[in-house]
Amino acid sequence: MKLTVLKAAATAVGVTLALSACGGGEGPAAAGGPTTLTVSVWNYEQTPEFKALFDAFEAANEDIDVQPVDILADDYPEKVTTMLAGGDTTDVITMKNVVEYARYAGRGQLQEVGDVAEAAGGDKLAGLDDFDLDGSTFAVPYRQDFWLLYYNKALFDAAGLPHPERMTWSEYRDLAQRLTAGEGEQKVFGTYHHTWRSVVQSVADAQSSGDQLSGDYDFFAPQYDVDLELQESGAALDYATAAAQKTSYRTMFETGRAAMLPMGTWYIAGIKQAKDAGKSDVEWGMAPLPQRDGGDDVTTFGSPTAFAVNKNAKNTEAAKRFLEFAAGEEGAKAIAAVGVVPAYTDPEITEAFFQVPGLPADEGSKEAFEPGEVVLEMPVSEFSGDVDTILNEEHQLVMVGEKSVTEGIAAMEERVRDEVLG
Amino acid sequence: MALTDASRPALRRHGDPRQVRRNTLIGWSFILPNFLGFAALTLLPVVAALGLSFMKWNSYSDPEWVGLANFERMLGNETFWVALKNTTYYAAGHIPLTMAAALGLAILLNEKLRGVGFFRTALFFPYITSLVAVAVVWNMLFNPTAGPVNLLLEALGVADPPGWTTSSDWAMPAVIITSVWRDMGYYMVIYLAGLQAIPPEYYEAAQVDGANAWQRFRNVTLPCLRPTTFLVLVMVTVGSFKVFDLIVVMTDGGPGRATTVLSQLIYREGIREGRFGYASAISLVLFLIVLTVTVLQFKVQERRER
Repeated sequence: MKLTVLKAAATAVGVTLALSACGGGEGPAAAGGPTTLTVSVWNYEQTPEFKALFDAFEAANEDIDVQPVDILADDYPEKVTTMLAGGDTTDVITMKNVVEYARYAGRGQLQEVGDVAEAAGGDKLAGLDDFDLDGSTFAVPYRQDFWLLYYNKALFDAAGLPHPERMTWSEYRDLAQRLTAGEGEQKVFGTYHHTWRSVVQSVADAQSSGDQLSGDYDFFAPQYDVDLELQESGAALDYATAAAQKTSYRTMFETGRAAMLPMGTWYIAGIKQAKDAGKSDVEWGMAPLPQRDGGDDVTTFGSPTAFAVNKNAKNTEAAKRFLEFAAGEEGAKAIAAVGVVPAYTDPEITEAFFQVPGLPADEGSKEAFEPGEVVLEMPVSEFSGDVDTILNEEHQLVMVGEKSVTEGIAAMEERVRDEVLG
Repeated sequence: MALTDASRPALRRHGDPRQVRRNTLIGWSFILPNFLGFAALTLLPVVAALGLSFMKWNSYSDPEWVGLANFERMLGNETFWVALKNTTYYAAGHIPLTMAAALGLAILLNEKLRGVGFFRTALFFPYITSLVAVAVVWNMLFNPTAGPVNLLLEALGVADPPGWTTSSDWAMPAVIITSVWRDMGYYMVIYLAGLQAIPPEYYEAAQVDGANAWQRFRNVTLPCLRPTTFLVLVMVTVGSFKVFDLIVVMTDGGPGRATTVLSQLIYREGIREGRFGYASAISLVLFLIVLTVTVLQFKVQERRER
């Protein structure tokens, strides 16, 4: 009896060891077989651009097999930081935002790819300048998102209002109030402002001479006034409710509970996906983000997304080929086909973009798609992360009404100066 | 009998040094696997963090010795003090409430009631439920406009119910209520074990002497439960000071900094901002706080037992 138990245990241990040995060791790559290129991505299933790019790249390069390293979007920056610190050998690292990029590049964790950026399109790549660190480039942007105004055509028609075009924030506020109707669960809000601080602060930064890293925040005030008036008049869901319910901006817009929505262009692919899946039947269009002043110029904010080559990459050559492909014309075509805005700007690509089924084809939407200037959502410096934390904390207090705009701005200035810049 | 048993190994120890060595080695071999794991995964990182708190390190370049600079920075940083205050606030609410709720439930469920097994299981359930699910559901319950908590308060005649997680004053109470609800079942089980170890003769004797229920509780139950209470106190205290996950999911430290706690600050400074030296310094302070409180508790316990 005892013996059999022992035997069984020994067998179990043996089997486990054998299995783990098999699982742990990487089989030697077959000589002459395809190179495996690893690329870090987030939420692979829900982010169709990655698959579109990988499929197109593999079709064009049969000797390379792309292997995504999928990471949860919320944990992406922390996970990549840890990976790079641990000497991970993933070949291509996707740069979700410029602040993180500056951190990795500053630590010498990325390879210089200035020549790849030139080969991919050079000046045609929107947002390339944002990756310039003292004359060197360590990542190549492949998509460029910026903010514009989404609107629900059916709700505008029902209210007998013309579809929106370029307008000022005060015109926008009045419009939102006129579009608000109904009560309780049936209430339709004129607009929905998501809980991110950029909805107020990055708009103010882009459309004034202010700078979010300066420690001087008076330029936020007019924008806060617009936001607070919208929520106080009931034309927008109030911040406290949105934060407590963790309201999804997608649900608000796709179910027709909000007639307008200022949001980034990444959401184009989201609406398309929802409509393709039959989850939403919203008829939508795009208008430029409302502006501070009258006139014709359109200034908005946004941020590019880029690919970089890991310093410890196993396949540097293949990785650079991927960067050039993804950021260049062919990559742009592949991601435009799924409704994602490529960094590579070319009238032909824009034309192709609006050919995608499920996208609005009206002239207004096409115009909204070409803003005059796109300012970086958050300027890059070694202090970006700390300033972001403080601005976000004080933003919450102003939006839930615990601090007045003046008090909130005073607290932001004091804390940024004392805790960060000091 | 007990005497002879206890004296036997002692005799042997003096008699046969080889046997002693053998026993010691066997003893070591029993704890070795656990100790190796502990050393590699806990002890080394703790010692490393201690060293790092005097250095500047971004996890990539070489650490650089900066002496007490991290601590100076910490003492001058308002957010650190806010987090320290919040952590203390949380602990001051969470520790006594959890213990009181756990003890109360344990006493109730120690009676021979019908369906007592069901209630014990039901109360233990929150503890094995995913914390994220707990936080998300409580967030809904605390919803200021449509949440059942406030609807109930309004029905009871509270004209202006609190904004809970959207209000600086009420966010921390909301978090404390949630964590007490989650933890009380676990400590209830420990208290139940303690209660069942109290010999029924004590209660009978007290009853014969004419003690009422409250007197029996004060003079029999509580003293007999002292070792259990101490265990629970130490465990709740340690858990309370290192609270992290519940707050991250429920409020993420907000609104503003109303619920930012030390462990969250450590995570933010270390993992997010890459200042591992500074983060280690904060964690050293957190460690010292927990150590001091626990040592104090041990001292008090020792004195009482004397």
